[in-house]
Amino acid sequence: MTNTLFVMDPVAPHGMAAQPTRRVLSSLKETVVGFVDNSKPNFDFLAEEIGRVLMSEHGVKAVEMRRKRVASIAVSDEFMTELADRCDVVITGSGD
Amino acid sequence: MQAKALGYPDLPIAVVPHPFGMLRRDQIHEVARKCAADIAALLCKGTDAGVITGPAAAQSALVAVSEDHDAINALFRERRWSDGLPVVPPTRERVSRMLRSTARRPEEIIAYLAPGFGAATVERIAVNAVMAGCEPDYLPVLLAAVEAVAAPEFNLQGIQSTTHSASVWLIVSGPVARALGMNAGPNCLGQGNWANATLGRALRLILQNVGRAWPGEMDRATAGQPGKYSFCCAENEAESPWEPLHVERGLSPEQSAVTVVGAEGTTNMNIHSKNADQMLSVFADSMQRPAGNDFRTGGDPWVILSPEHAGVLQAAGLSKADVKQRLWDRSKLRARRMTDLDLEHAQHARRPELGEIFPDTMLPICTSPGKLGIIVAGGPGTHSVYVASFGNTCSVTREVMTGATLPA
Repeated sequence: MTNTLFVMDPVAPHGMAAQPTRRVLSSLKETVVGFVDNSKPNFDFLAEEIGRVLMSEHGVKAVEMRRKRVASIAVSDEFMTELADRCDVVITGSGD
Repeated sequence: MQAKALGYPDLPIAVVPHPFGMLRRDQIHEVARKCAADIAALLCKGTDAGVITGPAAAQSALVAVSEDHDAINALFRERRWSDGLPVVPPTRERVSRMLRSTARRPEEIIAYLAPGFGAATVERIAVNAVMAGCEPDYLPVLLAAVEAVAAPEFNLQGIQSTTHSASVWLIVSGPVARALGMNAGPNCLGQGNWANATLGRALRLILQNVGRAWPGEMDRATAGQPGKYSFCCAENEAESPWEPLHVERGLSPEQSAVTVVGAEGTTNMNIHSKNADQMLSVFADSMQRPAGNDFRTGGDPWVILSPEHAGVLQAAGLSKADVKQRLWDRSKLRARRMTDLDLEHAQHARRPELGEIFPDTMLPICTSPGKLGIIVAGGPGTHSVYVASFGNTCSVTREVMTGATLPA
């Protein structure tokens, strides 16, 4: 019969401080939707098309487009503040 | 997964089928209609989320396992705690011995590591160091390495979660490299040296287990590279004609440092010529890689000069800065050598730096000659090494703090 060994768990749990709440919308009618294009191939076309559909079929009032310089670096706080001030919702993409 | 790590477990996410980059415009329209419907549903669903409090940086839990080598490795495989290789079991006794090499408290948080933003406590770093096979006196090097990779300019978030092959290359310079018996000479990037191998391995385990970047999950590497097992060497200061890297970066010769590089991989450059000018021209030609990230975004490329090649350059009267300038000038890539789509990407990414980019624009490999990294390493032979970078990254140097140990 073998003995029992105790090993220490090398994995860290997710760990960030408290985050602000998310506001649920009752509808998209008359909202302004922002897009942060991550600059990967086709994201700009996807965002344009989604924006068009959101306006024509879901009542969105206006769409604001912004494009990152490169995909793997986060935008600045100023970039997000400017966009968030103008929009009710901001959508971004992750991945290729 | 990253949304949860950042305290947004209920972040609405609409999923678009992959691969997406190859779709035609008419196909994108269909995808967009479905995506828009999903977005509308997700944004109007549920209730306002409460304040999310992240877990505290908990001490590492103890897990019971049979004291049998096979059972131990089965546990580590099942839990994905390993890098695919057997480990040294991180018992409390081994971790305590490791922690004696620093005066920093075990619960001290060195950094939160992207993309999972797990807390890299001194203790957790030590646990992974034991697993990798590190000797206790290696720990201060790892603490400095974790500080370095967490620096914002390094862009660990990008390096950990990219589809690119990027790995972290750990360079150690200064007296600590000699004290730990690191290899800066023959086969310094290969197998055989305990410190080189285990330090690089430990850093990878930390990035995986504390950064929570597991392959196929938040680590999205398409193919990866062997350097993701271990990629670590010392600088061959004894055979370098120039100042060592840590001195170049502002430390004194008596200090020691780690430098972390977001590395794409290694390319051998075998040059027999003893003509410095010819040598630099061929090095520069070898660095012109239209498919690499460096030219697309303005990167952080490095050259590891063999002692012999460094000697040729020094004999020609060239300083390290001269070598950087010539390599930067001669490695410029004509933009039209990229694909149309990659050229578009470069045009967008580098417009703030270079202005308008045309097909005949000569793109520099990085934003300035000084950005190009050079160290001397390796043994006898006519082989230097080009290390292309992830692109959107800057190498970071941090001092290794040594000397303070706890009593036995």
